[in-house]
Amino acid sequence: MAGPEITWYLIVSAILFSIGTLGVLLRRSPLIVLLSLEIMLNASNLALISFARLHGGHDGQIFALAVMAVAASEVVVGLGLIVAVSRRRLTLDVDSFRVLRG
Amino acid sequence: MTTALILLPLAAALVVWMLPLSGRAAGALSLAAALAEVVLWVVALFRFDFQRDLQLVDRHSWFSDLEVSYHVGFYGFSFWLTGLTVVVSAAAIGYAVWANRERARAYHGLMLFLLGAIVGVFTAQDLLLFYVFFEAMLIPIYVLVGVWGGPRRVRATATFVIYTMAGSLLMLASIIAFGITQGTFDLIDSGTSSNTWVFLGFLVAFAVKAPLFPFHGWLVDAYRESPPEVAAILSGVVSKAAVYGLLRIAIAKFDVELVLDFQSTILALAAIGLVYGSLLAFRARDVRTVTAYSSMAQMGLIVMGLFSLNELGVNGAILQSVAHGLISATLFLLAGMLEQRGGTSTFADLGGLARGRPALATILLTTGVIALAVPGSVAFAGEFLILAGIYPIGWGWAVVGAASIVLAAMYMLRLISAVLHWRRGPAATEASRDLRPAELALLVPLVGLLLFLSAWPAAVSERSFPLRVQTDEAEAQAP
Amino acid sequence: MIQGAWLCLFAPLAGAFAITVMGDSITRRTAGWISTLSVFVAFAGAVVSFVGLLGESPGEREHLSTAWTWLSTGSFKIGMTLLVDPLSVLMMLIVTGVGGLIVLYSIGYMDGDPEERRYFAYMSFFVFSMLMLVQAGNFLLLLVGWGLVGLASYLLIGFWHERAEAVAAAKKAFIMNAAGDATMALAFFVLIWQTGTLEFAEAFVGAEGMSSTLLNLVALGLLGGAVAKSAQIPLHTWLPDAMEGPTPVSALIHAATMVTAGVYLIVRAHPLFELAPSIQDLAAGLGALTLLVAGFIALVQTDIKRVIAYSTMSQIGYMFLGVGLGAYGNGMFHLMTHAFFKALLFMAAGLVIHHLAGEQDIRRMGGVRRVMPKTFVAFLVGSLALVGIPPLSGFFSKDAILASALASGGYGQLLFAAGLLGTLLTGLYTFRLFFVVFLGRPSELVLQHAQGSHGRPEEEDASRTHGKTAHGETASHGEGPWTMTVPVAVLTVLAVIGGWLQIPDVWHPFGDWLHDVAEPLVEPSVTQDLVASALAVGLGLVGVGVAWLFYGARSRELPRVAGVRHALEHKLYFDELYDLVFYRPAVWMAGVWRRTIEEPLIGGSITGVSLGARRAGGVLGETQTGYLRSYALAIAAAAAVLVVVFLAVQ
Repeated sequence: MAGPEITWYLIVSAILFSIGTLGVLLRRSPLIVLLSLEIMLNASNLALISFARLHGGHDGQIFALAVMAVAASEVVVGLGLIVAVSRRRLTLDVDSFRVLRG
Repeated sequence: MTTALILLPLAAALVVWMLPLSGRAAGALSLAAALAEVVLWVVALFRFDFQRDLQLVDRHSWFSDLEVSYHVGFYGFSFWLTGLTVVVSAAAIGYAVWANRERARAYHGLMLFLLGAIVGVFTAQDLLLFYVFFEAMLIPIYVLVGVWGGPRRVRATATFVIYTMAGSLLMLASIIAFGITQGTFDLIDSGTSSNTWVFLGFLVAFAVKAPLFPFHGWLVDAYRESPPEVAAILSGVVSKAAVYGLLRIAIAKFDVELVLDFQSTILALAAIGLVYGSLLAFRARDVRTVTAYSSMAQMGLIVMGLFSLNELGVNGAILQSVAHGLISATLFLLAGMLEQRGGTSTFADLGGLARGRPALATILLTTGVIALAVPGSVAFAGEFLILAGIYPIGWGWAVVGAASIVLAAMYMLRLISAVLHWRRGPAATEASRDLRPAELALLVPLVGLLLFLSAWPAAVSERSFPLRVQTDEAEAQAP
Repeated sequence: MIQGAWLCLFAPLAGAFAITVMGDSITRRTAGWISTLSVFVAFAGAVVSFVGLLGESPGEREHLSTAWTWLSTGSFKIGMTLLVDPLSVLMMLIVTGVGGLIVLYSIGYMDGDPEERRYFAYMSFFVFSMLMLVQAGNFLLLLVGWGLVGLASYLLIGFWHERAEAVAAAKKAFIMNAAGDATMALAFFVLIWQTGTLEFAEAFVGAEGMSSTLLNLVALGLLGGAVAKSAQIPLHTWLPDAMEGPTPVSALIHAATMVTAGVYLIVRAHPLFELAPSIQDLAAGLGALTLLVAGFIALVQTDIKRVIAYSTMSQIGYMFLGVGLGAYGNGMFHLMTHAFFKALLFMAAGLVIHHLAGEQDIRRMGGVRRVMPKTFVAFLVGSLALVGIPPLSGFFSKDAILASALASGGYGQLLFAAGLLGTLLTGLYTFRLFFVVFLGRPSELVLQHAQGSHGRPEEEDASRTHGKTAHGETASHGEGPWTMTVPVAVLTVLAVIGGWLQIPDVWHPFGDWLHDVAEPLVEPSVTQDLVASALAVGLGLVGVGVAWLFYGARSRELPRVAGVRHALEHKLYFDELYDLVFYRPAVWMAGVWRRTIEEPLIGGSITGVSLGARRAGGVLGETQTGYLRSYALAIAAAAAVLVVVFLAVQ
């Protein structure tokens, strides 16, 4: 098969994953956190499809479809939470939701 | 037969809990069950051949892939310990009936359940079964002390449960390790282990139960705050479960070299407990505390006898267990009767009770002098055997034991005088009468048994172990 | 004959049991008669055994009879075994004979006491215990009797248990005896492991193979018990306090029987002592020391019973001296005669005390002779026998011991000197007592109680006399009821003729009787006998004479040596020493341990556990920060670590 080596796809996937992780850990706006999560999920999708291409089977692709479905559902829930929060005029800051602490 | 002895009280407990009986009826049923248990034991006595090994065996498979079975049976020595259990429990239940405990159905159900569990402990020949019964003993005690006890009962029972559970958890780990490595959990089929940690797990659990110094932190509060009859069972019977466990498991199921490695340490702790308990009993300020510390001292002595690992010491330990069980049960019941009259068993409030109360004086005096092991009493016989057995291990141990004879005299005589002699204290009013027939009916059989055993201690000591087992143990001791 | 021995042993127990069980349903008098009868039945049993033994040739006089196995474990067996041999039968006769007389005497003495039944039950129990001790066929059973006798002593000393002094004295006696029990037990452990048995004969044979250290330890252990039971120095402090008990108790237990048990033990176990000669010498030495110390202390006592108590201590010192040097027959002979005249003295003193409604202080007495002439005679006879004036019993027995001492080499001669000094002291303190109490003009107290005009105990001494003699309707003439005077009369006769059983070199049935059981190590020659007797009697008379000077004729003033007198009055400070060395450290240590170990352990352990659990929970709770991002970080970090681990494991 033609095209770049599988390695490059994985490197891109890793870079995307790290960007996503950093976004989750470092950004304070919930929207951006969700966005970053999406990036992480897509990075893993990329890895899955690359490996599927490498091994010639279809398992990875099917799994990637499943991941996409889950990601979509989770975004719905997340955005719903953010809308509810903003309706109550609370600050959209992840660090301010501290009530459930030990 | 053995299963009947275990199941009878358990079944009676269920009946008492489920049927809508009145308090009096529940008490009567419970007492009847306890007495039936005694009768059953006597019947078993006539069928028992003391020259043979494990008898009256019942065995059914339980978890066959783990080799766990319901395996119960009696040895000579566990048979005597069971006899002690049924007699003391019957007396305790009788006391509870006389004292008219509230919520009698719950109470008596718990007492019967406890009785069944204890008999199970003494007869279990499978480790997991043993553990089940051992833990099952704990639940009724927790409730009995926590609900019907004295003012500081919650703390006392919590302490007791936490201590015991800590030990039991270690024992559970040991049991699992032992069972897995041996391939079976059965005590007859398995061999001996040489694993130090497994041994320690068992040892700690039994050391807490006995109690052995320094695991005795639960003792005083528990004995002080329990209802008197529960204290009687605790100190008279439950502590002997530790004796049984030490002998049947810790000593018999581990390599002789391993046990010998620990012998000195255990003897040291037991000896410390003996002296420590005796001295603290000497300065205690009420009947219950004296009996509690005296219990600790006696258990130290019994453990010394067990770990002498020779014929004299081990037989002495069994004899002393039976003797001490009866003695401390009687003392706690007497303390309860004193508290009923004067509201307290504190020495400062008592005194001068001998005048005009011959029954009380005679029984307290008789029990007291047997408790201090006056030569001729069964306690003396047990103590003599134990110390004679410990002497070859090290003469120092025997000297410590002999010194504790004097200490025991000191604290028991102090107790007797504080209650019976001198002038009457504030709590010993004219109104507190002599022992009435109901109370005598409880105490006289116990004291009578003590006197009978004092005249014939060989009844128990000659029949605890078949001869060849004793010679095996003796050979194992050849250095 | 064996049945006689069993009857002898169990009759008093049956009596005690009957009295206990029947309780209030019998009168107090009846209890007294039951007890007395049980002891006389025992005496009959003893006589039967004695006659049985007489009929046998000397070599065969040893019978063991086992009723049941008392204690056993496989290889170690102790039977409920009685031994009938000349020594045990001798003791049986003394215990039940003198004991029976004393119990009879008690019927009169204790008349009116509300707790009489308890008293007689205890007395019977005591006789049973003492018989168990002397009839025991093995060492363990002997120890059983030994301990039970201590128990009976505790019960009887503390009989008037509302008096704190009586209770304290009873406890002291028991605990000191318990210490003796402990040392004996230790000796027995050694015997068990070295010889495998506690039967007398086998143990003696087996002991011959033991090392000398072990033999010394065994003998020392036995000696410890003997010293405690017989109130020899250093375990003697309980005996004077034991006078808190009723006078018949003092007569029976603390003069005639229990305190002589130590002597019996040494004679019974003499093969062991002979294998440990240094310990046997120690026994003799302690005896000599005690006889002197007790004699000195007796000189300053003001309680009539305490003088006699110290005298007992001193006389037992003589017995220890005798058996310590191997003169077993002579020691036992003195035991017997001493039982007669000492019981007599106590009982006569009891008559005086009873007559004076409980007074025991001799400074308040005087001229009792005028009021109680018969008691005066009895007391005089007892005193003369005690000092050893021929031909009364004490002369023969005491001088036999002294002669044996003289015949025992250098050490023996040293002890002989001590014994001689003792006879001087004996004469002195005995007749001090006699003259002060009986001679001179009747004191006020005596006049008050003259001619049976005694009514209720006077208020002035209510605290002393409370609980002691209470008068019912005593016969107002005579010195007491017949139950009291007849035993005294019998003992008076015995005190006179009792010594005639052994006149050295002339006839000695007593020595022959015991010869096979305990062969004496020393036989004094005729010269030694005469020398010893002459010196002893002479010095005794000197003592009497000195007493006459100071107390009889009152022609001289007592020398005042303040320090010595003070020390003697405090009994040489032994009590204070023991309090300091044993009692206080025990109390202090118990207190220290309670504070430093127990309280932290009990309190600490459970609060420690709960606090610890809370704190651990608190610490772990810190990880629940509430920040979403920190949770995310945790997940990321954990995932990274897992990845690394998986890769590494590959």
